[in-house]
Amino acid sequence: MRIPRTLIVGGLVVGAICLLAAIGPWIVPFEPDAFSVRERLLPPSAEHWFGTDEFGRDVFSRVLAGAHHSLLMGFGATALSLAIGVPLGMIAAFRRGWTEEVIMRGVDLMISIPPVLLGLLILAVTDPGLMKTMIAVGLVYVPIMTRVSRAVALGLLAEDFVEAARARGEGAFHILAREILPNAWPPLIVETALRITFAILLGSALSFLGLGPQPPDSEWGLMIAESRPFISEAPWIGLAPGLCLCLLLISVNIVGEGLRDLLDPRLRGRGHG
Amino acid sequence: MVDPMADAPLLDIKRMSLTYATQRGPVHALQDVSLAIPRGGAMGLVGESGSGKSSVVLAMLGLLGQGAETVCDSALFDGLDLRAAAETLRGRRIGVVFQDPAAALNPALTIGFQVAEPLVQHRGLSREAAFARAVELLGEMGIARAAQVARAYPHQLSGGMKQRAVIATALACEPELLLLDEPTTALDVTVEAQILDLLEELRRERGVSMLLVSHNLGIVDRLCDELTVLYAGRVVEQGACTELLGDPRHPYTRGLLAALPRVDRGKMGRLAPIPGGLPDLTRPIEGCNFEPRCAFAVAACALPQALRAADGRAVRCHRAEEIAGQPWPIPEAAADAVRPEKPLTLLRAEGLTRSFGHSSLLSRLSLKGLKPATDFKAVDGVSLTIGRGEVLGLVGESGCGKSTLGRLVLRLLRADSGTLHFEGKEIADEPPTAYRRRAQIVFQNPDSSLNPRQTVDEALRRPLIRFGLASGAEATKEVERLLDLVRLPPSYRQRYPHQMSGGEKQRIGIARALASRPDFLVCDEAVSALDVSVQAAVLNLLTDLRDELDVAYLFISHDIGVVAHIADRIAVMYRGAIVEEGPAREMLMPPYHPYTEALLSAVPVVGAHGRAASRIRLTGDVSSAPGTIGCRFAHRCPRHLGATCDTVEPPVRKFGEGHRIACHLTPDELKAMPPALAAE
Amino acid sequence: MAGFLARRFLSVLFVLWAMTVLVFAIVHILPGSVAHMILGEFATDAAIVELEERLGLNQPLYLQYWHWFTGLLRGDFGQSLTMERPAAPLILEALGKSAILAGISIVLVAIVGISLGIHSATHVGTWSDRGLTLMQYFFIAVPEFFWCILVILFFAAWLGWLPATGYSPISEAGILGWARHLILPVSTLVLGLIAHISRLVRSSMLEAIESRYVLAARAKGLPERIVLRRHALPNALLPAITILAVDIGILIGGIVVVESVFAYPGLGRMLIYAIDNQDVPLMMGGMIVITTIYALANLAADILYAVLNPRIRVSGTAG
Repeated sequence: MRIPRTLIVGGLVVGAICLLAAIGPWIVPFEPDAFSVRERLLPPSAEHWFGTDEFGRDVFSRVLAGAHHSLLMGFGATALSLAIGVPLGMIAAFRRGWTEEVIMRGVDLMISIPPVLLGLLILAVTDPGLMKTMIAVGLVYVPIMTRVSRAVALGLLAEDFVEAARARGEGAFHILAREILPNAWPPLIVETALRITFAILLGSALSFLGLGPQPPDSEWGLMIAESRPFISEAPWIGLAPGLCLCLLLISVNIVGEGLRDLLDPRLRGRGHG
Repeated sequence: MVDPMADAPLLDIKRMSLTYATQRGPVHALQDVSLAIPRGGAMGLVGESGSGKSSVVLAMLGLLGQGAETVCDSALFDGLDLRAAAETLRGRRIGVVFQDPAAALNPALTIGFQVAEPLVQHRGLSREAAFARAVELLGEMGIARAAQVARAYPHQLSGGMKQRAVIATALACEPELLLLDEPTTALDVTVEAQILDLLEELRRERGVSMLLVSHNLGIVDRLCDELTVLYAGRVVEQGACTELLGDPRHPYTRGLLAALPRVDRGKMGRLAPIPGGLPDLTRPIEGCNFEPRCAFAVAACALPQALRAADGRAVRCHRAEEIAGQPWPIPEAAADAVRPEKPLTLLRAEGLTRSFGHSSLLSRLSLKGLKPATDFKAVDGVSLTIGRGEVLGLVGESGCGKSTLGRLVLRLLRADSGTLHFEGKEIADEPPTAYRRRAQIVFQNPDSSLNPRQTVDEALRRPLIRFGLASGAEATKEVERLLDLVRLPPSYRQRYPHQMSGGEKQRIGIARALASRPDFLVCDEAVSALDVSVQAAVLNLLTDLRDELDVAYLFISHDIGVVAHIADRIAVMYRGAIVEEGPAREMLMPPYHPYTEALLSAVPVVGAHGRAASRIRLTGDVSSAPGTIGCRFAHRCPRHLGATCDTVEPPVRKFGEGHRIACHLTPDELKAMPPALAAE
Repeated sequence: MAGFLARRFLSVLFVLWAMTVLVFAIVHILPGSVAHMILGEFATDAAIVELEERLGLNQPLYLQYWHWFTGLLRGDFGQSLTMERPAAPLILEALGKSAILAGISIVLVAIVGISLGIHSATHVGTWSDRGLTLMQYFFIAVPEFFWCILVILFFAAWLGWLPATGYSPISEAGILGWARHLILPVSTLVLGLIAHISRLVRSSMLEAIESRYVLAARAKGLPERIVLRRHALPNALLPAITILAVDIGILIGGIVVVESVFAYPGLGRMLIYAIDNQDVPLMMGGMIVITTIYALANLAADILYAVLNPRIRVSGTAG
């Protein structure tokens, strides 16, 4: 398999962001939450790379310290939807009959709610916070993951090699673990990679609306929301986390689409929503 | 006044070459292909998959996609340069029929509109006039109720009807040349026969010239005067059809004919397979490109071979005359087993029935004014017995329930009713592991039958472990024995499916089924996806294995020629029931069930060209009428007696030993039928 | 066809009913009493009892649900707690404003997105196709709220061409003033969706162009223009309809964000306001209305799909 260059570049950027997010709190040049009245709204300079905000906090340090939020929301929420959706989808495909009917009607129901609304509904009645946002976003994507993994499993169950396993009288566990899963992971990985982009988008949008991590936390969506009153006098406060978010999203998206082209060429260019 | 053009061929292509640009480098799909079709003539273009035969059609029409480059000395159609004029000739003077009518018709437009389209475009007819003419055309193509069909969408028509509509479209502007690319390959054999009759009639009555591209020598022989044999992009032999097939000179042509199982010859000892596979077309080959697979190859074959023409024949082989007397070698059988006349019963099924319904709750929901979807009986009360080491061939067209029946006797599908006995013991719905070990299955599609993420070793080892037959080093030895059994070297243990050819994958599928040392194998269209030359090798293998291991087969196939070659007994299935069953040799002669008669007379047989065989043609296709009482074949039966057939279940007539026919015709009437196959 | 529609309609009704249960259950069953949520944690017991009585919160849950549900059916969404007015007219007015935004956006997305997709598919490998593909990558990934910030920064703060926030009715500001307030919100809403839909149309159009029936149409000698328009396009647009329905879901999310950034008085902003101020009846009502709109939009897409697809519209066999 020839790995396309865009995929490598995208992967490197995502990797770099992950690394920075992991070590961020230890390498920040300034304390991210430290107020400094004399250094309010300073433009970017050699000392303050991304400038300072209305409380004189160093924007670069805040961006660095907040990076893990977006990543956790993207990867954590997707992992959650994977952890619930894949077993549900596999069970639906395997058991058929009533089990499948109940699971899939439930999925239909969840999918009939616009994603943001489902997130809002969950967050409206609980106190906001990183974990809550992550769980809300994860739950939003459970039905989609269930659908995808059911479709993948159904496709594989129709393959002759699975029937050959049944002709040997293999148990459900063997069929699932040895015949289905090894072949199911490429499409599932592709779906997961594409889903991460949307999870980050949704999570940061919810944070932006004030339903994620709370001040003085420096989640990027929240930082952008807080920068709004100063947009014309100190645009760097919002632009810095915004551009970082864009960089992360674009590179995650490139990785997702690159993986899709590599692992599942039939889906090339298909929409995802 | 004599027209100087009158003698010139209608289509004349000289030395056409075609190269595709791919990631692995340029693929030389066609090399110096020359073709000439006289006015009113019909040329067959034959070759196995990958020979480049369909590319010829697309190249002539200028319809190759990006990355394809065509070079030729000249390409003339009625004196016009095809390279420049193809665009103006398409649809006007050259009509095209593609392989799969379901894919070739636009699902969003009505049949009538699609047939009328070229008339509006090229003849300037008004929409209404063109539509009226389209209805006429559909009628001329043998479609009843053409006006109704013209207003229908493709998904509402059967495969045969769709292909008639496609042919009507191709003929709309009365072209002089019809290009037919595998026109019947997607169709059932009885429908294929209808389409071939139609094409024959069009040739006779309209004098249309034809270029028929096919992998099937039988249909080319029926329709064409001349034949071109293509191998890996090169013409290897050209000449008059009857002569060429009667006396093939190129080793490849001879190999193809020797590899072909033929229903008119019944059960032959062995077929002659052609070893190996297609050469890599990205590497230019100077000498003969068939040399690596040829039984007659010598050192001089590495030199460039010219297409030598003599007495109306052209052959690309320098040894053609030299080897004319030597037959294509047939490999010896591994063992020569003597079969008992009456084998002991191994498996007995009685009254197996299985329906398929709709699983979704919503579609079961009965709404006001709407009927809930009804269940469909795929297998309806079928009984059969198979003896130890016996091959029971099961023939039928698509949708007749033969695959479902195969899964029912393996208990892979739950039967609605009926019993199954194996060696006299009843096998329940959830069979014991012992039955699983002894009854196995070989599938049609080599790509789907092996897990793409398992090596050959893993695939073959698993049944050994599952049934506790061997483990560790012992299992490794057993895996190697299995590979040897299917004539593959031990080095194949480490291969993944994508590293093997279709024939090799099929062998692994057979080895996996044999790993548990079963006594009974269901072969579900086990050779249908393979090219003739590879199919012969797999058929030989199955025959040998039966002799060596005394395994019984339920051999399911739509190809009566293949079944006639391998089976001891044959059962013919139609819409969920067995309508005739008997010893293989008796099945190919009267008395027949009228459906068997129609099946046999529909098979295009090589060498039957011009010989009059009785032509029994069925109308419509399997799906064309319901009918839940009476004889299930009544709605298509050419020997339909009247109301009795429609309302009364037919009695089973017995002839000789074990030959049974379910038909209302009297035994004497059945015996008096003419032979459906032309005798040699 | 009739059966398909009937089944589809029943399932929409079921979804809407289930949604009322879901919204009600989440709001009422999750820990913390509604009265506490509204009054805050330092409320006196007396105040809580008084409020619970006023809102009927001391009744059993099933009764509360029943009152609320039957109210919804009558068009009564209860009293807004913060504005002390019936919620229904508030929601309806906000809905109208949002509908303007959504309507313009969806029409733009459909027209521009589909045209760009067709252009890309018929010009594969050219510079315009590559450029569009690159832009699609970018626009799909950039969040709406960041677009909002950027366009406000450029067009409102720096250039001063357009108003950054608010809404002016046509009756007050005239067509021009009304439109000036819509340009920025609409353009931030549509960018991602246009990228999304044009990508999909490009790939489904390419698939259609590579199909056998398009090859057959070319073999009939039809000019390329007709081959594309008559044979490829109708089949390529069918999947676009399905995706357009999915995009309505994304659009709703976008509207919530865009309305709150641009201080546009629509349903999305109202919903965020209700959540921030714990105005439970307003919040529940808003959610039900949005879900209903989404379900109806999906139903419309399904019907359109069925009408344009003869395989669903026309059943049975012919001949």
